Amino acid sequence: MDQFHAMFAVGYLMLSCFAATCYGVTFSSLHKTLIVSASSPQGHVLKAGEDELTIKWEVNQTFPPGTDSTYKTVKLKLCYAPESQKDRPWRKTVDDLKKDKTCQHTIIARPYTPSNNSFIWTVDRDIPSAMFFVRAYVYDGQGVAVGYGQNTDRSKTADLFTVHAITGRHVTIDVASVCFSVFSVGSLVGFFYMERRKGKVSLVK
Amino acid sequence: MEISQNTNTTDRKFALPVDSEHKSTEFRLFSIASPHMRAFHLSWISFFSCFVSTFAAPPLLPIIRDNLNLTATDIGNAGIAAVSGAVFARVAMGTACDLFGPRLASSSLILLTAPAVFLSLIANSPAAFLMVRFFTGFSLATFVSTQFWMSSMFSPNVVGTANGLSGGWGNLGGGATQLIMPLVYSLIHTNIGSTKFTAWRVAFFIPAFFQMLSAYAIFFLGQDMPDGNYVRLEKSGEKHKDSFSQVFYHAITNYRGWILALTYGYCFGVELTIDNIIAQYFYDRFNVNLHTAGIIAASFGLANLFSRPGGGILSDVVAKRFGMRGRLWTLWIVQMIGGLLCLLLGKIGSLSGSVAVMLVFSVFVQAACGLTFGVVPFISRRSLGVISGMTGGGGNVGAVLTQVIFFRGSRYSTEDGISLMGVMIMCCTLVILLIYFPQWGGLFCGPRKGVTEEDYYLSEWTTAEKEQGFHKMSLKFSENSRRERGKKGESVPLPSDKETPSTFV
Repeated sequence: MDQFHAMFAVGYLMLSCFAATCYGVTFSSLHKTLIVSASSPQGHVLKAGEDELTIKWEVNQTFPPGTDSTYKTVKLKLCYAPESQKDRPWRKTVDDLKKDKTCQHTIIARPYTPSNNSFIWTVDRDIPSAMFFVRAYVYDGQGVAVGYGQNTDRSKTADLFTVHAITGRHVTIDVASVCFSVFSVGSLVGFFYMERRKGKVSLVK
Repeated sequence: MEISQNTNTTDRKFALPVDSEHKSTEFRLFSIASPHMRAFHLSWISFFSCFVSTFAAPPLLPIIRDNLNLTATDIGNAGIAAVSGAVFARVAMGTACDLFGPRLASSSLILLTAPAVFLSLIANSPAAFLMVRFFTGFSLATFVSTQFWMSSMFSPNVVGTANGLSGGWGNLGGGATQLIMPLVYSLIHTNIGSTKFTAWRVAFFIPAFFQMLSAYAIFFLGQDMPDGNYVRLEKSGEKHKDSFSQVFYHAITNYRGWILALTYGYCFGVELTIDNIIAQYFYDRFNVNLHTAGIIAASFGLANLFSRPGGGILSDVVAKRFGMRGRLWTLWIVQMIGGLLCLLLGKIGSLSGSVAVMLVFSVFVQAACGLTFGVVPFISRRSLGVISGMTGGGGNVGAVLTQVIFFRGSRYSTEDGISLMGVMIMCCTLVILLIYFPQWGGLFCGPRKGVTEEDYYLSEWTTAEKEQGFHKMSLKFSENSRRERGKKGESVPLPSDKETPSTFV
């Protein structure tokens, strides 16, 4: 009997794991169990690679105590606001979290604690120019998402941050590209000159 | 017996066997003998580099679109711009080849478009991105100089093979770039440690340099015709410097050029469109990741290694037995099957099925391109360049049309667009039925009695021009093209005595 119970328990656990991963957790099934806030001394316009964002998060006390008993890790992500998703299907919001492309940049992952959480993040250099908000996902021991929190409202229009990306251009690259362009056209002019001289020489022959 | 003003050229020894125009009658792939095989290798390598540059952006789009803040509309428009520039550039290139020779024409174009690739490095907005893709796309006009050069260097019995291989191996660049650019990018990003937005820019130096160096190679190592360059031949009087208006007139009044321009739009044009949309199609419909979608996209272009040359070789093989009529029939059948496969591609719902159909489809549509240029060299001798340019330009028009009608906005889903494009291919291929050569026949009609190759090719010259001997090369070409009668036509009339060489010494 004991063996049967053990097998059943293992089977049930495995099945629920598969169910969770195969089924795919949807965003609409999650509750907003965390309160997240983000702020910056630079206001709401940030420069990639330079400016800092201070993010604070804690459990939402309005939910019954014990809701966070399964919470193990917190992942903070930078997510695209609807304005920056327009006409860009590679940033589309889909309810199935496996296919969702809203939050493509991970800020930090931390073990979960209910309060006194804060992190100062220097905006990464490869963040593109767009409007963002911050969202925190909480995961249980199996890595399945069980809750979230975000610094903006349901319609994702309040408290957004605008990031100005780096251009990726450097003076050396600019100069090199212009120089080689000029060289390319210049050598063509040289070729025409050489051709005309050849023509004159063969005429003399 | 032909007496030439410059005895050096008649005494000249060539590494390969040649005909009376000194065009090679054999094609030896692994030789670099000057001038014939060297011209082949120079032309396919330079055309390859232009394709690499033109399609260098698509595989790096996930990074570029974030750096330049592009929308899906911006990306679609830039894709259309990349292929639309070459529409007129190809016609202009054809004219330039007729007037200045393929060596100068192609090296000039490549050096003029290399700045567009260099300046891609400093693009900073969607508008700048569109401009650099537009101007870089002009370099695809080197296709015309490639085909013209091959048609000048190789005899009718191997011209299909030469054209098919040089065109196909050049087109290979469109597939190779999907593998080269991500590789170069990751080398710079990971090994040298540049940020993403810098690494893609530096990566563009590679296609730019490759393009520039290939232009230098053409200029210093290449030669327009087996006997020399246009400049020297014209100054010594062996080659008459033709008039632009006459060359242009004889090209645009030849209806066969227009028919092939239309049908080429539905093999090559379709190939360009697929190059632009297929990665996204597999990514969206079958949920493969971006890397896998890129590899599938690359394999479509890489089939050019053998499929387009295969079309060219097939054209020559069929012509041995059935002549020009065989070339036309094979082209019609292969392109029709290509259209059918395109229709099928949009209807298949499984990933493996789609990849399989896509690969077979790529072979047929690219072979049709090779078969088209097995016919083009025979449409006109005087205006070979402009006809090649018109056909080539028509290819790009087809690419623009199909993308605008079927793959822009959300009117059709991508799979419906692909199927409808297949239907359009089949409809437009029907016009091949209308091609008729009086000396050889067409799809359903045989040749007209008593008409010879000389009648056809010399009709492009006026009596005054003939009296001055400007039509010499057309005369030689007519003789050499008698093979296009096929085995059955060997006993058909030859030119009468009134057109023997004595009038033009």
